[in-house]
Order: sequence, then structure tokens, then C-alpha cells
Amino acid sequence: MTEVSIERLTKVFGSSRAVDGISLRIADGEFISLLGPSGCGKTTTLKMIAGFEPVSDGAIRFDGSDVVNVPAEKRDIGMVFQNYALFPHMTVAQNLAFGLEMRKVAKPEMEERIARVLDMVQLGGYAERYPNQLSGGQQQRVALARALVIEPRILLLDEPLANLDAKLREEMRVFIRDLQRRVGITTVYVTHDQAEAMTMSDRVVVMFGGRIAQMGAPADIYEKPETLEVAEFVGQVNLIKGRVTSVDAGEAQISTVFGTVAVPDRGIARPNMTATLALRPEALDLAAAGEPGAAGRITARYYSGSLVDFRVALSSGEELHVQTFPNARYSEGDDVTVRAPLDAFWLIGAAQ
Amino acid sequence: MKRPVLTIYCLLVYAFLLAPILVVVGASFNAGNFLTFPPQGLSLRWYVTFFNNEVFMRAIRTSLWLAAVSTVISTIIGTMAAIYYVQHAGKRKELIRIAMLSPLLLPEVLTAISLLFFVYTIGIGTRTIIGLVVGHVLITLPFVFINVSASLESFDSSWDMAARSLGAGRWTRFRRIMLPLIKPGVIGGALFAFIISFDVFTISFMLKGIGMSTLPIQLFDYLRTNFTPEAAAVSTLSIVLTLGVVIVSEKVLGLRIHRF
Repeated sequence: MTEVSIERLTKVFGSSRAVDGISLRIADGEFISLLGPSGCGKTTTLKMIAGFEPVSDGAIRFDGSDVVNVPAEKRDIGMVFQNYALFPHMTVAQNLAFGLEMRKVAKPEMEERIARVLDMVQLGGYAERYPNQLSGGQQQRVALARALVIEPRILLLDEPLANLDAKLREEMRVFIRDLQRRVGITTVYVTHDQAEAMTMSDRVVVMFGGRIAQMGAPADIYEKPETLEVAEFVGQVNLIKGRVTSVDAGEAQISTVFGTVAVPDRGIARPNMTATLALRPEALDLAAAGEPGAAGRITARYYSGSLVDFRVALSSGEELHVQTFPNARYSEGDDVTVRAPLDAFWLIGAAQ
Repeated sequence: MKRPVLTIYCLLVYAFLLAPILVVVGASFNAGNFLTFPPQGLSLRWYVTFFNNEVFMRAIRTSLWLAAVSTVISTIIGTMAAIYYVQHAGKRKELIRIAMLSPLLLPEVLTAISLLFFVYTIGIGTRTIIGLVVGHVLITLPFVFINVSASLESFDSSWDMAARSLGAGRWTRFRRIMLPLIKPGVIGGALFAFIISFDVFTISFMLKGIGMSTLPIQLFDYLRTNFTPEAAAVSTLSIVLTLGVVIVSEKVLGLRIHRF
């Protein structure tokens, strides 16, 4: 089992810094996601860990030993690719055997390990199929099995669910997560899908422009985003302005359209500053007009089965996005009150 | 038939292409003394004459040997060139493509004369068979290159990365992953090379040593002084031989190519 430590890792392509000095420690058995928009450096980081991309500067250590100069084929990693990269001229069993043959595993043990891993990914009867005889989801699981059968030190996954349809993607998230827990392997998962990163990871590393914007447990990233970029990337967010009236012991009193609210402060609030506050749409609720809260009028209503999305124009001029359960029987044009629980407010920073 | 005009047109094109070959094949069974069509009576006598003609037999052996050797060399060089071209050439890609295809673009006679000058300049001349082999490799190389690069274009680099992550070194990856997956292109290129080499005239004519002869040259030589159906028999046999190589290769190698 392996602990991965990345120090000031940098990748320069020509004049651009694709990965710009990131440092990161991944505990043994931890599931970490690198999350960010395309071009943020997440895939380049993964390729450097795998050994497919030479490192411009910095260190990558597996259990303390620097692997920067170790070629990919000697790093003992299991890798799953976005397009699965199964060898099309080999059967499922041959695909799985390939890595074991490279490790000179004896035939009986090889067969036993292949059978066991195929069982684990629920593809017991598929050993003799060719990849083109399998569905996308099955190919995905073979790719996972091929990476795991060699019992690598680290498992790397590069957007492995991007080519699957929505329903299968959700099933696979849970499947991969459960499998990873059972095997207990240190895992780095690259994705641009925040829901994927949230569901699967112990920790999420949000990257923008080659740097780490924030890392932490999924709930922290979602509920306590440190920057506007992170807040917007990991989910829908309402931004409202407020005036800081006082700051005291890690808490700021901010006067908003919802009244004065107490918000945890990370040392960014100054008295009289105009601040930007984040409010997640699902934290908000609607009530009849006249109730305490922010008054407004519904301008649009979108029904999506389990949830209803409302757009509410506040009388103060701001527009809010409110997400509620469908039992709220309000429709377009209704005057309503938007209510927000006191702990729903999160201070992002000074208003731009 | 749904489209009679198109069907008739296609048949005419095939007739135009194949009729001369059929005429040659027909004429080779001629019992008479002259190369005429339709044949005057059926006979295998000209085949017998051919097989007893030591000059022709020597020429056909030379041709087969030359085709085999130049096919092997040009398949190896062409495949390596194609791998470099598709995977590593970068900005030089276009330049390399033109250079590799230049034997096709230049008139064969020009290539032949240049090579002749070259082999004399460096002092080996035509005493050895080296110049001739080089000429054949040169002229067959583009066919290997085109075929292999075409199949390499559909070779996904993540297969190579996957094999690397599983612990395979460079040579293992080539032998176990790349080669099987580009096999159709390699075999196709090699077949082309063989057929082209077997057929090539100008290069052989210029670069052959004194007293040496390939089948096309011997046939040309023969027709200058003779007009017997033996020439048709030779042609027919070389057609059969070429087709044989194609069919056998398809059967032996082709069927094992996994289609995907």
C-alpha cells in the first residue's frame, strides 16, 4: 500500500505552465479526485504521476522514494483511460493476463487471479469475449479489472465515466467507489464532473489554471468554497451582496436583503466592506408573501421530477435561484418570500 | 437489377480492364506457332517449352528471389519509417511523406538513371546485385509506407500507454500490441511490394548486371526476336504466380487478422 506525495510539481509546455507548482499528499488507501475544467492541468498531473509525461520540476514520491526518473512501465501503477484502451486483438482474459505476464506470474496463479478479479467486476462469464463484443459499461469494468489484477501500488483513473450514458455513469460511480474501498488502494481520479468527484472521493482537489484552488472533503468544498471560482464550479450558487457591520472573533455581522446575518469569517471581512455571500439554491425555501424573509416574485419555474427550480426576482433587484421539493405549489408570477436558514450564508470575499 | 445503366457501365469497365489478360491467357494455350487470338487449337506445348527453357527459368528464379529479398527489406524499413512518420515526426511530417513517396512521384527511369550513376560513383557498379536490390527496395518502399501509415493512423496511443502502465517495455509493446494491430497494413504493404518488385522493368533493366535477367526483362528480350505463344505462357504464369502470392498470404496470414 502506498502513500503518494507530490511536491511543487510543475509542467511547462513551451511558454505556458500547465501545472504550476502543486503540492499534495495522498494518504495510503485514500480516494482523491482532481476536479477542474478542461485545461486546468488535472490530466497532465495524472500523466506525470503515471510517468507518461516528463516532469519539468518538482517531485513525486511513492512511499517516500522519488519516482520522477522511473519510467512508467516500472512504476507499478494501474491506469484506466477515458476510452478504456482495451487491446482489441485480445480477449478479456488475455487483456487481463498481459500485465501478469509482464510480472512473470505463474500460469495457475494467473488464472486464479483473473477469475477472482473478473468476479469482482461482475464479468465472470466474459473471459473469452473480445472487447468489441462488450457494451461500454462492460468494457469499462474490464479496464478496471485489467488495472487491478496486477495489484498495483496506485490506481489512476482518467475521466473513466465520460463516455458512458447518464444512468450507467451513476451506477459506475458507486461501483468504483465500493470496489476501491474493498481493495483499499490509493486512488487518483481525474474528472471535470463535480457530482462524480463529490460522490466518490475522500478528498477533492479543485484545480484552475494549473494550480490547486482548494482541497478538502467534498462537503467542505461544497459548503465552504474559498473562492468564487470554486463555489461556481462545484455547484449552482446564488451570490448576494451585503455590508459588513461588525467583525468579531471569526464571525462577521453582515446586513443583507435577508436582514443581518452572522457569517463565519476567515479573516477577510472588514467593517463597512461590501461583501459577496454565497447561497446554495437548495438551502433556500419559498413561503407565502408577507412572511419574514426576502420578498420577491417568481419569474420562472422549471419542474424536473424530484426537484423544482424557481427563479425569483427580489424587490431589491437581485435574482435568486431557489430549488425546492415539488410540494411547493407556487407558479410563475406569484409573489413570495424567499427564506434562508441562518447557516446557509457563506462569505466568499469582498464584492468586485 | 435496380440500376441497369450503372451495371452495364461497370461490366464494360471490367471488360476493358480484364479482356487483355483473358486474351493473353487464352493465347497461351495456342497449339499454333504464332501468338494469335483466338488460339488455333488447344495445347500445353508452350508451357512445356517454357519449363524446358533454362533462360526463362533462371529469370523467374531471379525475379522471385529479388522480390522476396526486397519485400523483406522494404517492409522493415517502410514500417519503421511509417511509425516515425505517424507518431514522432511532428512538424516534419509533410516533408517526410513527400520524401517517402518520391519514388512514386518521380519517373521510374529517372530514379533508375540516378541510381545507376550513384552505384558507379561509389564504385560498386552493377557487378554485384546490391544496386538492383536497392533499386527494388526504393521503388517498393512507398507502398509499404502508405499501407502501414494508414493502419497506424487508427492505432490509438492509449493502447501503448495502457501496455506501459501494465509493465511492458518498448520491444514488448511493439511485438505484442502495435504489430498485431497494424498487421493488416504491414501484410498489405508487403504484398504490394512483392508484386511491384516482381513486375518492375526499368529499374531492373538499368541496374542488372551483365548476363543477368529478371522475368519482365527476359520476356521483353524474347519478344524482340520471337513471336510464339511461349510469351503468353510466361505472362500467364506470372499472373498466376502473383495471384497465388496474394491468395496464399490472405489465407495464411490474412484470416488470422482479428477484424474489429
